[in-house]
Amino acid sequence: MSKPIQCSLCEEAATVHLSQVVHGKVTKVHLCEACAQKGGATDPAVFQLADALAAATPAPTLTCPHCGYTDLDLRKRGRLGCPACWETFGEALDGLLLKVQHEPAHVGRAPAGVVPLAQLRRRLDAARLEMTAAVTGEDFEAAARLRDEIAALERQLAS
Amino acid sequence: MSVEDILAAESELTHLLGGQQAVVLSTRIRLARNLEGLPFPGWAKPPQRKETSDRCVAALEVLPKFRRGHVVRMGELGDRDRAVLVERHLVSKELAAGKSGAAVISRDQTVSVMVNEEDHLRIQVVKAGWHLRGTWHIAEQLDDALGGALKLAFSDRLGYLTACPTNVGTGLRASAMVHLPGLCLAGHMDKVTRALNQDGLAVRGWLGEGTEAAGNVFQISNQQTLGLSEDAILKHLGGWIKHVVEQEWNARRKLAQEEGEKFVDRLARSLGVLRSARLLTSSEAMNMLSHLRLACDMGCLPEERRHLVDRLMIEGQPAHVQARAGQELDSDGRDRRRATVVREALKDFPEVGPPTA
Repeated sequence: MSKPIQCSLCEEAATVHLSQVVHGKVTKVHLCEACAQKGGATDPAVFQLADALAAATPAPTLTCPHCGYTDLDLRKRGRLGCPACWETFGEALDGLLLKVQHEPAHVGRAPAGVVPLAQLRRRLDAARLEMTAAVTGEDFEAAARLRDEIAALERQLAS
Repeated sequence: MSVEDILAAESELTHLLGGQQAVVLSTRIRLARNLEGLPFPGWAKPPQRKETSDRCVAALEVLPKFRRGHVVRMGELGDRDRAVLVERHLVSKELAAGKSGAAVISRDQTVSVMVNEEDHLRIQVVKAGWHLRGTWHIAEQLDDALGGALKLAFSDRLGYLTACPTNVGTGLRASAMVHLPGLCLAGHMDKVTRALNQDGLAVRGWLGEGTEAAGNVFQISNQQTLGLSEDAILKHLGGWIKHVVEQEWNARRKLAQEEGEKFVDRLARSLGVLRSARLLTSSEAMNMLSHLRLACDMGCLPEERRHLVDRLMIEGQPAHVQARAGQELDSDGRDRRRATVVREALKDFPEVGPPTA
């Protein structure tokens, strides 16, 4: 025998089953005897409650340890809770970032005293590729310029 | 109170004479910045917002740029004063709607830093006319000064961290406020907007996001903030603005040539109405002032009168009209008062002549 259906409000076995159809959308509510009597099984508010329950069902799977913001807040508001949220929700945000920004990584200024290592490394990789292409294309002027840039980047990254 | 001083002062946008301001009314740079370790204002609790505000205002106040400037706290201002600041673009609607926001404004009103808007800090620099590099330079210096005084939230991979993913990276929004009556009259504005949108630029109305384009004034700005350097963002916007300005002049010259007397008649009628109307609504005033501005650009009116038209565009807005009157006015009262101010200002304006530009 299958497991009895649980009451939507408490954990008792449900004995009252209600279905409501609004604009072709079916909502089902299952109640135990006690809850059905208390709430009044014919009370339309029960269905609103069912909606609220359904909406609240997805539990947050990620919470920012710094500010308590959850992935559900993020989905609902489209904003982050604190700077550390960028780390907390990193993977979840990557897809969104590609959609609104088209590029995944920062290229630009950094606060005074901060050396943007990742940015320098990316530029180093790109410059090495560009130099290979310049040498192949016999553009030695560009190759020389890139060689100097690569040397400068390597020095910066080593320090 | 400070807002009265702000209204009384000769500011960059209301009193700057001459310069290259045809088509581009103003250039604006905005940088979004946040403090490390504090929740963004939209998620912060009141004590955290207060801490943000205290720390940011303390760091800003002492900078040379804000010497003899203004510190305005939204919670201490009435509705009308806050609306005046919005109409002057010194604070956003969003900041003015809350109680915990503040703004630190330079004496000449070119720089305004909003605190506790969507981000902890929103640096805004505005210059009359088209001065992208000069405006950027001021913002850059201020950003360096702030970065030295406060620990800003920055990630190696994502750049400056912001509350909204649309601002992360450079946090830079560069924009030009452009007056495009030629393209509007010629019916080309939809096409221009589409082209700009397709290449990653946003086109908005006079007061920014979600506002209509009263007086043929539009704000054009970059959208992407991540993966492009500040320099690349400025170049991209600059190239398009140059192109839009050219298109606008082409449209104006074509209209003036094809319409002849009808073109001059349209501008002259607007001057006539503005000089004699007893009741003027805000949008009517904007649209007719737009014609006067066009007349100044085209040599139908002396060019040196243009700054007065620009000032009337700002001071003809509802909160400004009421602030000047020193009292709350109903809609009719505002229209009457606006008409009086405009009539007085245009009393000794010369007649509209044929175009020379």
